[in-house]
Amino acid sequence: MTENVKKSLAALCSAEYKKQRIDNGEFDMTEALRGVPKRLRRLPMLEAMLDAEVPHFLEADVFGFHRYNKKTPSYVDVNGKRIRSNGGNVTPNYARVIGKGFDAVLEEIDAKLARFADDEDRVEFLETMKKYVAAVYRISDRYRLAAEEAGNTRLAEALKRVPRKAATTYYEACLFFKIITYTLRCASYYHMTIGRFDQYMYPYYQSDRAKGVSREELLEITELFFISLNVDGDLYIGMQQGDNGQSMVLGGYDKHGNSMYNELSFVCMDAAEELSLIDPKINLRVNKTTPDEIYEYGTRLTKQGLGFPQYCNDDIAVPYLQSIGYDEDEAWNYTVAACWEYIIPDCAFDVPNRATMNFPLAVNNAIHAALPTATDFSEVLQAARDEIAKECDRLRAEWSPLHNPGSLNRNYGYLSIFTDGCIEKGLDLSMGGAKYYNYGCHGAGIATAADALEAVRTVVFEEKSVTAAELLAALDADFVGYETLQNRLLSCPKMGNNVDTVDALAGELMGAFDVSLNRKPNDKFGGVWRAGTGSALEYIQSAKKCPATADGRHAGEAYGCSFSPAITTRLNGPLSVIRSFTKFDLKRISNGGPLTLEVHDTVFRNAEGEKKVAQLVKAFVMLGGHQLQINSINRDRLLDAQEHPENYPNLIVRVWGWSGYFCELDKVYQDHVIQRTEFTV
Amino acid sequence: MTGRIFSIEEFSTYDGPGIRMTVFLKGCPLRCTWCHNPEGQSHAVELVRSPNGCLGCGACLKMGELETGTTCLVRASVAVCPRKLVRLCGEDLTPEELVERIEKNLDILNMSGGGVTFSGGEPLAQAEFVEACMRLLRGKTNRALQTSGYCRPDVFSRVLRECDFVLYDLKLIDDAMHRRYTGVSNGQILENYRTLAASGVPFITRIPLIPGVNDTEENTRAMAALMQACGVDHLEVLPYNKMAGGKYLMLGRKYEPGFDGSVEPTVREEIFSEYGIEVRVL
Repeated sequence: MTENVKKSLAALCSAEYKKQRIDNGEFDMTEALRGVPKRLRRLPMLEAMLDAEVPHFLEADVFGFHRYNKKTPSYVDVNGKRIRSNGGNVTPNYARVIGKGFDAVLEEIDAKLARFADDEDRVEFLETMKKYVAAVYRISDRYRLAAEEAGNTRLAEALKRVPRKAATTYYEACLFFKIITYTLRCASYYHMTIGRFDQYMYPYYQSDRAKGVSREELLEITELFFISLNVDGDLYIGMQQGDNGQSMVLGGYDKHGNSMYNELSFVCMDAAEELSLIDPKINLRVNKTTPDEIYEYGTRLTKQGLGFPQYCNDDIAVPYLQSIGYDEDEAWNYTVAACWEYIIPDCAFDVPNRATMNFPLAVNNAIHAALPTATDFSEVLQAARDEIAKECDRLRAEWSPLHNPGSLNRNYGYLSIFTDGCIEKGLDLSMGGAKYYNYGCHGAGIATAADALEAVRTVVFEEKSVTAAELLAALDADFVGYETLQNRLLSCPKMGNNVDTVDALAGELMGAFDVSLNRKPNDKFGGVWRAGTGSALEYIQSAKKCPATADGRHAGEAYGCSFSPAITTRLNGPLSVIRSFTKFDLKRISNGGPLTLEVHDTVFRNAEGEKKVAQLVKAFVMLGGHQLQINSINRDRLLDAQEHPENYPNLIVRVWGWSGYFCELDKVYQDHVIQRTEFTV
Repeated sequence: MTGRIFSIEEFSTYDGPGIRMTVFLKGCPLRCTWCHNPEGQSHAVELVRSPNGCLGCGACLKMGELETGTTCLVRASVAVCPRKLVRLCGEDLTPEELVERIEKNLDILNMSGGGVTFSGGEPLAQAEFVEACMRLLRGKTNRALQTSGYCRPDVFSRVLRECDFVLYDLKLIDDAMHRRYTGVSNGQILENYRTLAASGVPFITRIPLIPGVNDTEENTRAMAALMQACGVDHLEVLPYNKMAGGKYLMLGRKYEPGFDGSVEPTVREEIFSEYGIEVRVL
């Protein structure tokens, strides 16, 4: 770490700068926006935000562009609802704008204005985009002046070029990126993911290297850049602290099988390892040909306890995305949304977390409906498939824009500049300017649901040790008075222990989900639905709605997180878990949703242990796993941190798809992480 | 023929190269005062109760209630715990049954250059069973044995023939001290060590280092001398496991190691160095 990086890191960790932030309450603009049509509201909100921002730098900070106002503007709508967020969870096309500069973008817009001169709506949209650029120029000019005054010459010089002109160096490109992400955040977009940074930044990196700039210098810039991504991350909208969508994807392969890992990929990993910060969250794209070194590199990051990297298997992701309808080249260029959903950058406005299939609830409903009269388990299984199909239809109807007319409201947003197709067509994102508008559906509690079916099959139909009536009575009583029966149910085979019967039932559920949802239309500009195995926070929230289930789970008890065994399952070990969770053809259900393996941190005590963990990840990929997050855990530390949070300000854990500071999480999420560790290997 | 195990770990990291499945055999002739696998000591099937998540409902103890009012855990307790926290420790398997469980994961084990390790307890206390399992796995994966070496020499030699790798514990060279801290004499242990060293089978010598017990200068010298005489030039030191006491509670036992567990053991690398031995602390 260079001196500059050390100073910058110290300034970040001291958090002194946070005290200077402007507390602007709700930054309410209800009055100011009265009479302004909805489609034109976003612009004055961003203008007001940027005008209220105060250029400031931390020590040794060559980037700036940090949020200064605690909240972005909002207004109260006619229904009394406070409106702030602008949507998000996409990977904008940073590279296009970084590569031409905003002046060139303005020229492009002017050309389109000439072309669409007779189309009022298109003209209005394009003019609005020009005004956004003007607002960006204002704040960057103010930053340039502030930089000059503060003697921050490197930044001041660079701001003479960017963001008006194209970046010419790696530093300028990173700075331009920062300006874009900062202004997008100020416009209340959330989860603006970073995407394939090592690919689109590589030309600048390579050009600097060819000019004689050393790897060390570029590593320093990268580290300062990473630090700057952490400065105001706490202000970004998210479910919990740390959930801010700054996920970066490294590596991957092209359609010819060539590895896309380059020197910059490793510079980014080195920077992440040295800094030990929660952002950016690193995702590594791997496949069957990935060499051990990549897994070992990733494991060194895992050892830091940052909760990343997350591993993404190209062998599964790319075919799935193609099956949904993305072009071949687009599928090969996939990135990751805030947590783990597989998305296409640059030209898509998908909502990969639109809804959640509550598997245990669907199965529980099926069991209640079918069990009283079923003479064979196959009837119960069929009822489960039918219930899933019914629920998919219901979710599609619930979320269809036909029943949510507001979701198709015109809303000229700044993000349209960074989404391919919008300016070309003269259409805002909200008007169909992007290429893709797909919806993704999570799949929460798959293991719990499979376990429940397996328990029913075992005790009611195979052993015949429990009658249907008794089982249903026990469920309805939440096992009060039925403790021995609950114990029996908890003793049935569980998904995660490599037992073919229960794993096959999970496969049935996932198959039904695939067949009932993938590629079905979503009524939004030709978009379709995608099915996944993730759960986001639904492993807690959806679980609260679910009564006692036949696997022995109590009413309201949490499910496993995303694609994982139930938290009460006593696991044989990670090899069995990997096998259970790779039996189904995951190319059919890869909206996103990782398997999470928890490994005790003592395993990482030496290089040998690290190698073994790397082999574990490799095994998962070789067996056809789609996505994996691996956590380094120490249960005793977590328990202690709950008691004495003041001693653990930097303890980081992986929650459901992102890393957060443990002590900043709500207790219910802390407890879940701790409970997950009871069966840590 | 069956063998009794108390656990199969799918991902052990200190039991040999690569990803290893470790089979823990139940029963051990030694009673090392620092033992961190107390459930491996007795060959008998035992009841274990996990404290984490216990609701305190007492259903388990009620199953073993006597007329006098005293309660205890019994086999029937296993089925009544609503959280499934009571279980039987100790499972009987035929060699074929055990090998079947290992074969499920052979591809992953072999992909990583790993294999299976037989440990415990003391695997050589069930030598016939272990040998049978290893024979069934011959040619299929790397087979390792982790042992205290306390075993009849002819039995040791026979099992050794099936070993691809051995992890051998040395504790104390002075026989009286050995008997005091482990309950048994070390005569066979030292003899088997010499046999191992001369056999050509790859092995690693391991010393569980216990403060004040075997980290003395005297014992260190004696061990180093033995190793040197056997042509051994490297060893691994396992510092005493401070969490060793944890499992005793689950067995309803008290942990009384007979030495000060708060003191750090002394590695004395200089002495080993004198005898040309490289030390690696795990």
